[in-house]
Amino acid sequence: MATLELKGITKRFPGVLANDQVDLKVSSGEILGLLGENGAGKTTLMNILYGLYGADEGEILIDGEPQQFSGPGDAISAGIGMVHQHFMLVPVFSVTENVVLGVEPVGFGGVIDMKEAKKEVRDISKQYGLEVDPDAVIEDIPVGIQQRVEIIKVLFRHAEFLIFDEPTAVLTPQEVEEFFGILNGLKEAGKAIIFITHKLKEVLEVSDRIAVLRRGAMVGEAEPATATENDLATLMVGRPVELVVNKETSDPGAAVLEVRDLVVIGDRDQMALAGVSFDVRAGEIVGVAGVQGNGQTELVEALTGLRDVTSGTVKISGTEVTHATPRQIHGHSVAHVPEDRQRSGLVMPFTITENVVLDAYYEEPYSHGISMDWKAAREKAADLVEQYDVRTPSTEIPASSLSGGNQQKVIVAREFGRDVKLVIASQPTRGIDVGSIEYIHERIVEERDEGAALLIVSTELDEVLALSDRILVMFDGHIVAEYQGGSVTAAEIGLSMAGAAP
Amino acid sequence: MTDEPKGEAPPEMNGDADNGEKSGWAAFMDDLTGVNVDWRSAVLVPVLAMTAALAVSVLIIVASDIELWRSFSISALGDSFGQAGSAMWALLTGSLGSLAAVSSTLAFAAPLILAGLSVAIGFKAGLFNIGAEGQMLMGGMVAVALGITIDIPVFLNVPLAIIGAMIGGGIWGGIAGLLRARTGAHEVITTIMLNSIAGLAVVWMLSTKFFQPEGRLDPVSEDIAVSARLPRLLGFLDRSDVRVHLGIVVALIAAYAIYWVLFKSTIGYEFRAVGFNPNAAHYGGMRVTWLYTSVMALSGALAGLAGMAQINGLLYRASPGFAAGIGFDAISLALLGRSHPAGVVAAGFLFGALRAGGIEMQVATDVPVDLISVIQALVVVFIAAPALIRAIFRVKTGEEIGQLTTGWGT
Amino acid sequence: MISAFKKRGAVLALLFAFALVVGACAEDESADTTTAAPATTTTAAPTTTATPATTQPPATTLPPPPEGNTVLACQVSDTGGIDDASFNASAWAGAQQAAAELEGVSVEFLESTDATDYRANIDAFIAKGCDVIITVGFLLADDTAAAAVDNPNQLFAIVDQSPGPFPPWADADGALLSDFANLRGLTFQTDEAAFLAGYMAAGASTTGVVGTFGGLPIPPVTIFMDGFVKGVAHYNSVKGTSVTALGYDSDSGEGLFTNNFDSLEDGRSFAETLVNNGADIVLPVAGPVGLGSAALCLDTGSCVIVGVDADWNNTAAEFSSVILTSILKNIDVSVYNTINNVLVLGSTGNLFNGTLANGGVGLAALQDNADRVSAELSGEVAALNDAIVAAGGLQAFLDSLVDAG
Repeated sequence: MATLELKGITKRFPGVLANDQVDLKVSSGEILGLLGENGAGKTTLMNILYGLYGADEGEILIDGEPQQFSGPGDAISAGIGMVHQHFMLVPVFSVTENVVLGVEPVGFGGVIDMKEAKKEVRDISKQYGLEVDPDAVIEDIPVGIQQRVEIIKVLFRHAEFLIFDEPTAVLTPQEVEEFFGILNGLKEAGKAIIFITHKLKEVLEVSDRIAVLRRGAMVGEAEPATATENDLATLMVGRPVELVVNKETSDPGAAVLEVRDLVVIGDRDQMALAGVSFDVRAGEIVGVAGVQGNGQTELVEALTGLRDVTSGTVKISGTEVTHATPRQIHGHSVAHVPEDRQRSGLVMPFTITENVVLDAYYEEPYSHGISMDWKAAREKAADLVEQYDVRTPSTEIPASSLSGGNQQKVIVAREFGRDVKLVIASQPTRGIDVGSIEYIHERIVEERDEGAALLIVSTELDEVLALSDRILVMFDGHIVAEYQGGSVTAAEIGLSMAGAAP
Repeated sequence: MTDEPKGEAPPEMNGDADNGEKSGWAAFMDDLTGVNVDWRSAVLVPVLAMTAALAVSVLIIVASDIELWRSFSISALGDSFGQAGSAMWALLTGSLGSLAAVSSTLAFAAPLILAGLSVAIGFKAGLFNIGAEGQMLMGGMVAVALGITIDIPVFLNVPLAIIGAMIGGGIWGGIAGLLRARTGAHEVITTIMLNSIAGLAVVWMLSTKFFQPEGRLDPVSEDIAVSARLPRLLGFLDRSDVRVHLGIVVALIAAYAIYWVLFKSTIGYEFRAVGFNPNAAHYGGMRVTWLYTSVMALSGALAGLAGMAQINGLLYRASPGFAAGIGFDAISLALLGRSHPAGVVAAGFLFGALRAGGIEMQVATDVPVDLISVIQALVVVFIAAPALIRAIFRVKTGEEIGQLTTGWGT
Repeated sequence: MISAFKKRGAVLALLFAFALVVGACAEDESADTTTAAPATTTTAAPTTTATPATTQPPATTLPPPPEGNTVLACQVSDTGGIDDASFNASAWAGAQQAAAELEGVSVEFLESTDATDYRANIDAFIAKGCDVIITVGFLLADDTAAAAVDNPNQLFAIVDQSPGPFPPWADADGALLSDFANLRGLTFQTDEAAFLAGYMAAGASTTGVVGTFGGLPIPPVTIFMDGFVKGVAHYNSVKGTSVTALGYDSDSGEGLFTNNFDSLEDGRSFAETLVNNGADIVLPVAGPVGLGSAALCLDTGSCVIVGVDADWNNTAAEFSSVILTSILKNIDVSVYNTINNVLVLGSTGNLFNGTLANGGVGLAALQDNADRVSAELSGEVAALNDAIVAAGGLQAFLDSLVDAG
């Protein structure tokens, strides 16, 4: 029985106490849920455990033995495995190639023994119920499967202690369920697991013990059997939090967005959208539910001018915009919260100020002719930071140094911080903390109440259910079902998402 | 800048931990330039790299002294160090020791700065322009063509040469940009190829009757009109060895203009956005392919100016290879200057000083002029490997310079 | 900062330096061999200087140098560098020979890294008080001309150039900028020797096809090709044969050019093209590129090479078995002669025009492939040599044929 223990870990960054005397313990056959808002110091703590940072104080013990990690290599050989929130996979390599990267089994004459490697990958996936095709290329497989590859990678290196950093952030509800099955399988196989999340429901469902981190310090432990979501949320945020979205029933007006028979070809030349039609009316939130990869990404890209439309029409406020550029769409008072904030929503090395004007830099007051007015931009950024509660020491620091939740707030602030008639938001709360989710949800409802039309695409079923006045379910490029919000259960929608006729 | 982090939760520190707190002078520099830069590392690293490169050069001079190896003795070692010392002293006096030396440094610096800006603006937009050499040749040839055919007053002829050279270099650079935008052909490949084409095109052009002076068979062009020459800044001294000319002024104006474009204009904002994240740029409504073309055209125009500075400032005529590798030195310059116009200017003065000092070093000692290339290469090695600088000088220099350009085929 | 230079950093720096030392030593050795190579060719120099020069008083009649006279001779290379295994190296070999053999002569050089260095280097040497400044190649012509005009009391010599009524020596109207009494051109009628080589090649070819190619279409290159092709044509007209000369057309000036002076691979493939078209004797006029051609001949045994500038039996001895002869361009002789003039006479002397007559150009002695050249053919080449000397140059010789024909 192996035990991993952190004692009195303290880590200071200039001006910030990231970890303050943190104690933590996990043993074989146990799942420890580590709960905390983004910025609470979870990631720093795990980076220390993984050898990426040195702790200023405190020690790491494995089976009572103090450890000295000077890099991830040491941590890995001590049996620690980390599945990061952002996968560390080579997109053009196969599953097996990714798994063996750096620890390739070498055959005769220094040649990589791919056959042996493939066999091991198959064995591991069979043993832990991690179904993958060893020959599949990473860029071709869905996120959920990519995560399995990450897990196999860790198991391939004989990890006894597995750390999952926000593992469900990128998964569909079905994938989450499957993932929990995998977690339990790993637990039964005798692995010790640290499951980092900010999702209360999940941590209650799967953990054996729950530890809560706030502002760098351990503020309490909870038993899943007795704790409630509200207890945990209060512990985590430090104040009572509203977990349900409070909203009046909607009073929809005229159609703002009209989509007719939209056909779009995807990146792999597949038919991503096979003739989709729907309306979004003023003062209405339409949620699009569906398992990732069923055409939602392409739908949003087509509506925002980022992807070519093959056939069909799109109208905004009665004006045809089927083949409009992103800038023209922007000109129709459309806000777009993109699916992947780091890939396309933000320029990470840019400051908050520079990011705040990313899609409006060419307009007054941020520029006059070809000359930027950084004073105006800075003022706007300062306003938005204030108004949208972006936690940052300054508007002049790079977006990359903000936490995920604060990065998302910057995007929401930019998109909502002007007059909008139509909001197209994709995964608006992916991978961010409860406090920020609550905040962003309030803003979305506020926009509706001010008369905007909103199209919210999310793979988080709970989010779609909580926000939507009307719910569209996408499957394989079609809208397969439509429900009124409030009158439908997660189970019903889940069936439609899997392609079953309603 | 010195505000305490607001809100309750401390920010997650993923990047440079120093970001929140800049010292007074760094904050002042930010205000001055309007750019958020880690000034300590931006200034310290190049200075230390230069120091380290000179130190290693001294060791190289000592170690490559054949006499020392034939009969090793303390006094021979002393002689070798003495030789290295005089070489370094010659570098200093040859670049800064007299009016002629300073003017020579400035004359050499002008095309270096312009070409360095050319590469730097490419880096800022995520493009690796290896073609400054070819663009210099093309810009320079346009300047020559104008200079040998048109003789109008100097205040008209010089601007004409400047504009012509920018157009010539700009078209040559723009071709690579257009290929990148239209077909995805990587600019590294296309600019290398365009360098070869430009080099051979110059040889061919110089063998035509249009460029060749009557009676002469060498591939050397006719002299440009006196009115097309960049006026000597200290011409009133009437000293042929005081060579500093208007080109350095053109270079400094160009540096300020590029600074303004990059950090104060909408198009510069677009360049930088595309450089860091083309997806986000597309999301923000920018025409990414058009930007690639215009960045390469601007980059080429700057290189063309460098060719013009070479022709109209010093040579007054074209011969094959008049770009003299400046287009490649420019890559080092842009790295050394961290792709910032002010950095490129500083690096340009440095390399110009090395070139000017190199002549004096050759005259005064037996150290071959190739040492200058070695010093330049060493500076770049130390710049590209801040870890080395950190190890040698035990200083904190911030993060690595990071990815300068997008990868192959992306 | 010095105190921060702690142990680890120092060790690191030393390691680094060591690696560089090893590299530097290796480089030095190779540099020695390349500069040594031309020096071996100059062993033949004294004999050639002994032959009477038409434009110079014979060396033997020079009075002994005034006692205690010293000469500082300074060479400015073009961008090829002093060890270019070509004209810079050859000129420097002559300078070194002068320093070694003549009492009171010392020599120095400056290498140019780009065209803007030329004038700066010349000025640096003027400031240093050099007695004579020797510049090398057409690239330096403009700056040398200007410096000679600006400094009428400074002696100059320039390789491969001579003042004439055209730029850079004259203005656009052809009026000389100065009398250039302080400047000596060192030129070479390599076409005379190439003419002999062409004649010899035409006679020695078994396939009836010979070929040539050049580095760049510039006069110092094409003059070889032109003479060679004309030599072949002369053989045909004398013998009534129809030996073909590939690679250059004397009338249009067009031909085969590698467009570089450094790709041995080009040398190989250009020679291969010529061989595939039937040539069994190849004249590569592109510096080291020709070594690639020689390698092809060595590998396939299908051709022999006519070397240029120096005797390739000395400078590229590994290829001796495929070298027919070499067209000699004795730059070292002209430089030596110039320095000697400065030492003895205090002036550079008039134009040095290297010809067959004064030994400035010539054909190298036959070695491994002597059996390809019949005694009869050898005799004809020697007679042709005498005829050209007697006629006063190649053009005069060709004109006399036309007159006679």
